[in-house]
Amino acid sequence: MQVGLKIWRYDSTTGDRALKEYEVDAPEEATLLDCLDIVKDRLDGSLAYRKSCRMMICGSCGMRMDGGAVLACKVRMYDMASAGHAPVISAMGNLPIVKDLVVDMEPFWQKFKAMKPWLQPGYDQPPADEEHVISQERMNVIHKESLCINCGCCVSECNSMESDPEFLGPQALAKGMRFVGDPRDAAKTERLDQYSAEHGIWDCTRCYFCNERCPKGVDPRDAIAKLGAEAMKAGIDEDMGAKHAKWFVHSAKTTGWLRETELVPKTQGIVSSIKEMKFAMGLAVKGKVPPPFPPHVAEGVKESRALFELVKEQGVDGALGIVQGERALSRLEHEVGHAAGGGGDTGVGSRDQADVSPGEEPTRKRGGE
Amino acid sequence: MKRVAYYKGCLASLSAKELDISTQALSPKVGLELVELETVTCCGAGDIHEAEPDYYLHLNARILAYAEATGSDTLMTVCNVCTLNLRQANFQLQGDERLLERVNENLAKVGVPEYRGTVDVRHFLWMVAEGEGYDLLKAAAHKGLKGLKIAPFYGCQILRPSKLLGFEDPDRPSSLERIIEACGGEAIDYPAKIKCCGFPIIQAREETALGELIQPIEQAKEAGADAIVTPCPLCHLSLDAWQSKLKKQTGKDFQMPILHLSQLIGVAAGFHEAELRFKRHVVSVEPMLDKLSV
Ligand code: SF4
Ligand code: SF4
Ligand code: SF4
Ligand code: SF4
Ligand code: FES
Repeated sequence: MQVGLKIWRYDSTTGDRALKEYEVDAPEEATLLDCLDIVKDRLDGSLAYRKSCRMMICGSCGMRMDGGAVLACKVRMYDMASAGHAPVISAMGNLPIVKDLVVDMEPFWQKFKAMKPWLQPGYDQPPADEEHVISQERMNVIHKESLCINCGCCVSECNSMESDPEFLGPQALAKGMRFVGDPRDAAKTERLDQYSAEHGIWDCTRCYFCNERCPKGVDPRDAIAKLGAEAMKAGIDEDMGAKHAKWFVHSAKTTGWLRETELVPKTQGIVSSIKEMKFAMGLAVKGKVPPPFPPHVAEGVKESRALFELVKEQGVDGALGIVQGERALSRLEHEVGHAAGGGGDTGVGSRDQADVSPGEEPTRKRGGE
Repeated sequence: MKRVAYYKGCLASLSAKELDISTQALSPKVGLELVELETVTCCGAGDIHEAEPDYYLHLNARILAYAEATGSDTLMTVCNVCTLNLRQANFQLQGDERLLERVNENLAKVGVPEYRGTVDVRHFLWMVAEGEGYDLLKAAAHKGLKGLKIAPFYGCQILRPSKLLGFEDPDRPSSLERIIEACGGEAIDYPAKIKCCGFPIIQAREETALGELIQPIEQAKEAGADAIVTPCPLCHLSLDAWQSKLKKQTGKDFQMPILHLSQLIGVAAGFHEAELRFKRHVVSVEPMLDKLSV
């Protein structure tokens, strides 16, 4: 089959960039990586990209296809080539580009290392002739997290990281959860403390790009929710993000509905919420902030409070609570577009235009203007 | 007429009442009979899911159970976050018999009807982007949006994770564009339409959130949009109310009107202020309306 590719070439030493078009003759089963190999072999030996295993296990070949991160060795080209679509291939986002499709993974490894991704002391040797037995239930809590191959696809489109480059990000935090949830690890509390700090758990904006992009089903956003749940269970809940979450629980129990008026002081504390007064008053005029009295109480609030007391006793909390039903979710297939009558490919190609240019600066750098 | 259980969520019940009012007014015109759920509470967003995950599941199961009790097979939402929350809980319960059994036992103890797992959670957007709703929409939008350039803003949790939402291609969605065009407006395209507005962290990490928020507003402005339309009241709140903070931080005064989806269709259907409630917005919608009347 004939496969067309538009590849963003980029050289960080000269700053030269160009979108080059290539067409190769490839076998029908060819992946994107196979096609890049053909380009390099037959058309242009200077094309730079990373690869190793060619079977989705080493995590080397992350790159963007039409603006979304993929593993080049996972994507088959047949459908696209048949449809006559020549995708735009570029380097992953949120990492500096070295050349063409090769990014500098150093910032990624720095954050990875900061998670101390090894079992902390306390992992005692089992007595002679015995072994550590970990229950299936405990394993399930970190099953998805242990599938990570460190490819960086989740980081590429992380919306929080675009805005705050220091955010630990989905891969590092998923790795953190892999250790927080490991019963053999003795540093759980220290880890939760560390991950709850600025640029940690509560920086995540829940854009779900990480879950969408991860080629291994790690679902980093879910891992971050597990970390949040574990932190709050351990009483590490001083961060504004944690307070924000706690207030939701309180409202659901007391009035049934979230009352935005109270969310600001409950999250930010009284002092900073006074600074927010002018802003809040502007909203109040528009009826955006309901008056505090009398509170709007949902009719069914008694039931929802009773439900809270009941489940609280049952102790399915922290990460265990989030893992419930996880298997049911993992069985769901990606049946995108099937439900939509006219859905599918009719969309205007925002992804074709988005992010195709390499070497862009993040939207806002911390400390910048 | 399709009878659907209608879940407003907190925002449309309180600070975004204009969303509820315009949705109620519009629904009969697009073939929807809304059965309002009287006794339900907040779905807990990502927050209760994170703080008390088991409670999140039960809270949402309760909402699903009352929706099922209306006899409808559809629970209609008007908020992205509610949609993801309820769909996620629903799939967890539908796909795990033991979990459903345990949750039902708990529901029974506090007097909530059993949930049998028959409800499908669908956003209002999906109801009018295809099928009968879409056909009726074209007739309802008789006044049109001629001459208006509208920037669709999807937000996150109606697209991703697509495994749980799955209505359309999360990278190239088209439902809002189809609706804008059916209403006679011109849909403009810009990269940030599928990105995050920053709402979930707008209080805890304001600086980071504003770095996200500015993207759709700035790009829509540059593309010449007269207004942004969104299917989510949380996106609406941050895009509309936090523009003043963007101005303070960057000096840029965008004055970009932000419309709820039901309001945009309402304008095309010739609705008036009583049904639209634009006075509740922080950024004035007048310039857009003026352009339309010329
Ligand atoms: S995970 Fe283990 S088996 Fe798989 S490639 Fe790596 S070393 Fe080999
Ligand atoms: S959900 Fe959170 S971690 Fe994942 S990509 Fe979005 S902001 Fe980043
Ligand atoms: S979480 Fe997934 S996308 Fe992220 S590095 Fe690991 S395998 Fe890659
Ligand atoms: S999405 Fe948020 S505001 Fe809406 S019902 Fe759920 S928790 Fe309440
Ligand atoms: S080459 Fe190893 S993951 Fe693609």
